[in-house]
Amino acid sequence: MDILIGGFLLGGTYALMALGLQLQYGVARIMNLANGEMLVAGAFGAFWFYSGFQMRPFLAIVLIVPLAFVVNWAIYHYLLTPLVRRAKSRGQLEVDGILATFGMSFILVGLMLAVFGGEYFSYSYLERAVFVLEQPYGLNRIAAFCASLVFCIALVVWLSHTRSGLALRAVAVNPTAAGLVAIKVARTSAIAFAIGGAVTASGGALLSMFLTFDASIGVIFTLKALIIVILGGVGEIRGTVAAAFLLGLAETAVASLVDPGLTLAAAYLLFIVVLLVRPRGLFGSRS
Amino acid sequence: MGMLEIRDLSISYGQHRAVEKASLRVAKGEIVVILGANGAGKSSILRAAAGLLPAMPGSSFEMNGRDITNCPPDEFVEAGIALVPEDRAIFAELTVQENLKLGAYPKRARKKAPDNLARVLALFPRLAERPRQRVQTMSGGEQQMVAIGRAMMSAPAILLLDEPSLGLSPLLCSELFRSLARIRSTEIGILLVEQNAKRALAIADRGYVLENGCVTASDRSEVLSSDERVRKAYLGSDGSSINLR
Repeated sequence: MDILIGGFLLGGTYALMALGLQLQYGVARIMNLANGEMLVAGAFGAFWFYSGFQMRPFLAIVLIVPLAFVVNWAIYHYLLTPLVRRAKSRGQLEVDGILATFGMSFILVGLMLAVFGGEYFSYSYLERAVFVLEQPYGLNRIAAFCASLVFCIALVVWLSHTRSGLALRAVAVNPTAAGLVAIKVARTSAIAFAIGGAVTASGGALLSMFLTFDASIGVIFTLKALIIVILGGVGEIRGTVAAAFLLGLAETAVASLVDPGLTLAAAYLLFIVVLLVRPRGLFGSRS
Repeated sequence: MGMLEIRDLSISYGQHRAVEKASLRVAKGEIVVILGANGAGKSSILRAAAGLLPAMPGSSFEMNGRDITNCPPDEFVEAGIALVPEDRAIFAELTVQENLKLGAYPKRARKKAPDNLARVLALFPRLAERPRQRVQTMSGGEQQMVAIGRAMMSAPAILLLDEPSLGLSPLLCSELFRSLARIRSTEIGILLVEQNAKRALAIADRGYVLENGCVTASDRSEVLSSDERVRKAYLGSDGSSINLR
């Protein structure tokens, strides 16, 4: 039972960071390998506001989200738009995007190392035990989970029930057709990339409430987000959320039943099995 | 007034010149057909007229007297031009309802969306029956209805249709042509590229003949239908069967 609850709590934050990558890859077609670094940047942001100004992480997120939106918009506009213009096909853009963002991840790691140094960071916030079914869980984990859930629901409602959310999905499904209904495809892609980055950064800020992190931990989260997005199916918002919970559960189960060092290996095993059985993801549509 | 004026349109793909100084005109409430063999440049003209293909210098597009040459596709739509391309360009993973809602995304169409939706659903009652169905699970004919319906949701003055009868059964094909006549009666102008030349000429008011990227004839469709060259090339010499030379 504690595995179930623990996995669920972890899955909530995973869902948020993976939704960020899903928006960037699904709509803007950028497989952002610097996604994990954006997450760590969000974590550092929360840490910095907390240790420097005693600002509560939930308040810090209010500042981190718009900041991350602007930074990611600038990254898309200045670094990635030339690739988008040059690319003759979506496939070529994907390859170019992977290479460019892979390089960018090193730059971001370097920047964070230079600013914060190489040691591990953590801070204690809401470090009280809360008993769920007679098992203790950190209040910070539960608070982060609840906040992630609220963000995820807001994102899903926005994407499925508003005109602008529908426009984003239209670009994801068929950019040519989107142009034919007067959607500004380039601008919509930039906005999707920026929102994706902001969502990932907010996930990082929430994770930092209960996780010890350092400047170079981003790549692990990039891998996890990648696994979740592929697992859930590209463009499948609900699939992403479900896959995130699945990964959270699998990791928690392996960590407590087998060995904590094997969590990433377990994630990959799950990933490979799903790819072999359902290559388009658990919820991917077959067309 | 609702009038699309294409002047001296030239299009090339690298070294290959696909269209050479073609001039065409479509007014509201008329159906105009472009006849031509495969590769004559028909689709290229429609794609360029929707802003999807760059036109060579010297070409010009005017909508109601307003110059929209070199504008991005979304401004062609806002000017009142809606294209249904040969591949239909529907949002396959989205529902019928979402496709139609996206059709009304252009600013010009938002206020009139409820009226246009009623018009589209009256034209294609089958779409009203299954608003929540994903379009990719529908038949070819139904997908064509979604594509045309979506184009009509953008409140177009001019509708560009590229091979709308492609892949449809003869029955659905007749239904489609009846729909086109009804669309014309709502004061929308239609520029039509159609392999079924006989049917197209029967419904059209005027037509252009395109050969190797050049407009070689343009006249009222009765005149074109009785023209010996057109009969030979596109209608079969006796006018009874379809023959694509």
